[in-house]
Amino acid sequence: MGRYVIRRLIQAIPVLLGATLLIYALVHYLPGDPVQALAGEKRADPIVAEMIRQKYHLNDPFLLQYWNYISGVFQGNLGESLTGRSVSDMIGDAFPYTVNLAVVAFVIEAVVGIAAGVMAALRKGKFLDQLVLISTLLVISVPVFVTGFILQLVLGVQLKNSYGIDFFSVSFNEDDGLRAYLLPAFVLASLSLAYVARLTRTSLMETMRADYVRTAVAKGLKRRRVIGRHALRNALIPIVTFLGADLGGLMGGAVITEKIFNIHGIGGLLAQAVYQKQGTIIVGVVTLLVMIYLVTTLIVDMLYAVLDPRIRYE
Amino acid sequence: MRGATQTKWLVAATAIALAATACSTSSKSSDDKAASGGGTIAVQLGEPQKGLVPQNTAESEGNQVLFALFAGLVDYDRKTNAPRLQVAESIETQDSKLWTIKLKDGYTFHNGEKVTAQSFVDAWNWGANQDNAAEGMPFFDKIEGSEELAPGKDKKPTAKELKGLKVVDDKTFTVSLKAPFSQFKTMLGYSAFYPLPKAFFNDPKAFGENPIGDGPFQMDGAWEHNKQIKIKRYDNYGGTKAHLQGVTFKIYDNLDTAYNDLRADNIQATNKLPISAMSSVASEFGDRYINKPESGVGYIGFPIAYNPAYQKPEIRKAISMAIDREQITKTIFAGTRVPASDFISPLINGYRKDACGDACKYDPAKAKDLFTQAGGLPNNTLELGYNADGGHKEWIEAVGNQLKKNLGIEVTFKPFEKFGKILDSLQKKEYQGAFRMAWQMDYPSIENYLRPIFSKVAIDSGSNYGGYVNDQFETLLSQADSAKTEDEGIKLYQQADDVLIKDMPYIPVYSYQASAAYTKKIKNFDTDAQSRYNLAEVELAG
Repeated sequence: MGRYVIRRLIQAIPVLLGATLLIYALVHYLPGDPVQALAGEKRADPIVAEMIRQKYHLNDPFLLQYWNYISGVFQGNLGESLTGRSVSDMIGDAFPYTVNLAVVAFVIEAVVGIAAGVMAALRKGKFLDQLVLISTLLVISVPVFVTGFILQLVLGVQLKNSYGIDFFSVSFNEDDGLRAYLLPAFVLASLSLAYVARLTRTSLMETMRADYVRTAVAKGLKRRRVIGRHALRNALIPIVTFLGADLGGLMGGAVITEKIFNIHGIGGLLAQAVYQKQGTIIVGVVTLLVMIYLVTTLIVDMLYAVLDPRIRYE
Repeated sequence: MRGATQTKWLVAATAIALAATACSTSSKSSDDKAASGGGTIAVQLGEPQKGLVPQNTAESEGNQVLFALFAGLVDYDRKTNAPRLQVAESIETQDSKLWTIKLKDGYTFHNGEKVTAQSFVDAWNWGANQDNAAEGMPFFDKIEGSEELAPGKDKKPTAKELKGLKVVDDKTFTVSLKAPFSQFKTMLGYSAFYPLPKAFFNDPKAFGENPIGDGPFQMDGAWEHNKQIKIKRYDNYGGTKAHLQGVTFKIYDNLDTAYNDLRADNIQATNKLPISAMSSVASEFGDRYINKPESGVGYIGFPIAYNPAYQKPEIRKAISMAIDREQITKTIFAGTRVPASDFISPLINGYRKDACGDACKYDPAKAKDLFTQAGGLPNNTLELGYNADGGHKEWIEAVGNQLKKNLGIEVTFKPFEKFGKILDSLQKKEYQGAFRMAWQMDYPSIENYLRPIFSKVAIDSGSNYGGYVNDQFETLLSQADSAKTEDEGIKLYQQADDVLIKDMPYIPVYSYQASAAYTKKIKNFDTDAQSRYNLAEVELAG
């Protein structure tokens, strides 16, 4: 197991290098001038623009720029944005919000999603099952920004103005602690939540028909033990795979939710950097996201062994 | 009932999870309503682009904060936009070339340092030096000796100080310009001309995060990036003190969210309304909704310099007359723009309503006649370019359809992904079609609507993308520059404007309208010509 983990981590190095080179090249060859992008709708003053280009070595050939950047990264320096802020500071400021948001969303998604799926599977064809199927279909078919804006308007504005209930605020407010994350996290989680519920339902129904479950029932085990220990544990494998991949997706995909609720996390930072063609920020953020993906997939792979002892790592 | 126990267990777990998250939050309210004195409010802001240094901040968001933190030599009357003395006691000149500036007593920086003539001279020298790559650098190029501090690409500055600036005593300094410029006083309210305290030069970067100004408000803690900038009243301010105890600039990058926060009274004012609010804001906010002329003008431009098809003024005039400005501003912009009838914005001293005359009046029949007489366009087609990132598609297509119908020509559209791309393409003399263009002033002077866009020097270092050149226009500009008084200058600038109206190098289509709204919690709220909040005058209502 230990050797397996080390091998996986070593494999991550070329993946990271490849990913950064690819992203750096993509940004570099994007049309448009980052210095002009900073000036907005006015033309950047030629001398000022040239001084900025020289300062950030934007006139150097691509490979030299990449080499300078990556050797800086290995010395722990993620570089500077064109506006003079350290990229590690920018990521450091934004990252905690995205992590908190993603974790709360993940908890909602896993707990509510699996619970709904289990309940639906155990009451196949009954009212509760229909309810889960219809409501998840609804969630899947409505775009996230619509859900977000409606909830913001109803819970944030109308609830306060009409009933004086100021529980969910319109925009993210750090002082509110965890409460501030609930609404955005629910919006962010809603789509995956629907998938998790449906996946759990199908997977559990499948396993309930398996021979060993029938054996367990025949042995006279309690229903709770049959479902919890025998059926659900096996049914969880595809769900854990989905959840693991989704945790990375939640962090990267928070752009829209973060924007609606004014949370200044990684999503907004990345979107803005792409718009301004600020390579150092984009590569820094993407590298971080790639790392998160690598770690979560590793954790997912190791979780298989916990769920199914027959799986071994060499 | 085994199923029931299962459900109960799950419901309980969910409830515990939700309760746990709810418990850990405090019920304290976000806005500090109970602050002593004048109270505090929160207003909408976008994240400023870079460190808050007046000489290096050209964009609107940072400018808004600097406007609250700094006091310049002059500021502008909010109704007439005429310059009025602020830190300056007097600004005098005999020949519009040598200017003597005297300062008032009593102005100090927020760290206690006195505002002296040296504070201005040092700040301007820093801004004019190309090694500092300050965005405000072009504003100093009228001052004598600026070329030594900014000699251009691959050259090193040969001086540290502008030759044209001389400190006479603590309260007096003189500015000598390269050529007479009657509008110089009007320029002086721009943020690049604000003074800087000594502390700035020790560490410009730290200063940018926590600027020390000489204005009615001071920083209340450093800038919290992407979250907020808090300012509080500066009690030793030399001018009229602010009413409010403090203001929080809450940073948004989504205007819809900011508007919803305004509706819920979580913030008290915004000077940018989302498009989605336009249909409802007037009924929702009533007289707390402000809709007034802003400094921007929208044009359709032509690459006159290198595309012979557009070289005849009659062609451009015919196109102008075939555009129904009324319809475009009403139906597409829902009244957030008004038809333009001059190259100058309505809020500038020297603007003349309907100066453009027939050339900007919708008259399809006349337009068609003029167009045919002038020989029309090659292949009977016209291309309209616009940047696809700024909501211009709709109105450009509407203009295109009007031209199609009224001139009987084929119109094609060319979207560029960003405005900068149109500029690049024009710079390289590649793009052959007509294009959308807009101008927003730097300082409220009629001159600022003429020279930067239509003069010869602006081809290389300004915004004259059409490459328009007219000697008569140039002569009138320099005559206006050397005028002895401001009013005399304005008359001459208007004559230069008349030359443009005759030539129509660009077609003025609409002027922008500024929109802002505020909640019942405050009064005396307004925005200035650059859409900045007048925070120093705002009070809590009741």
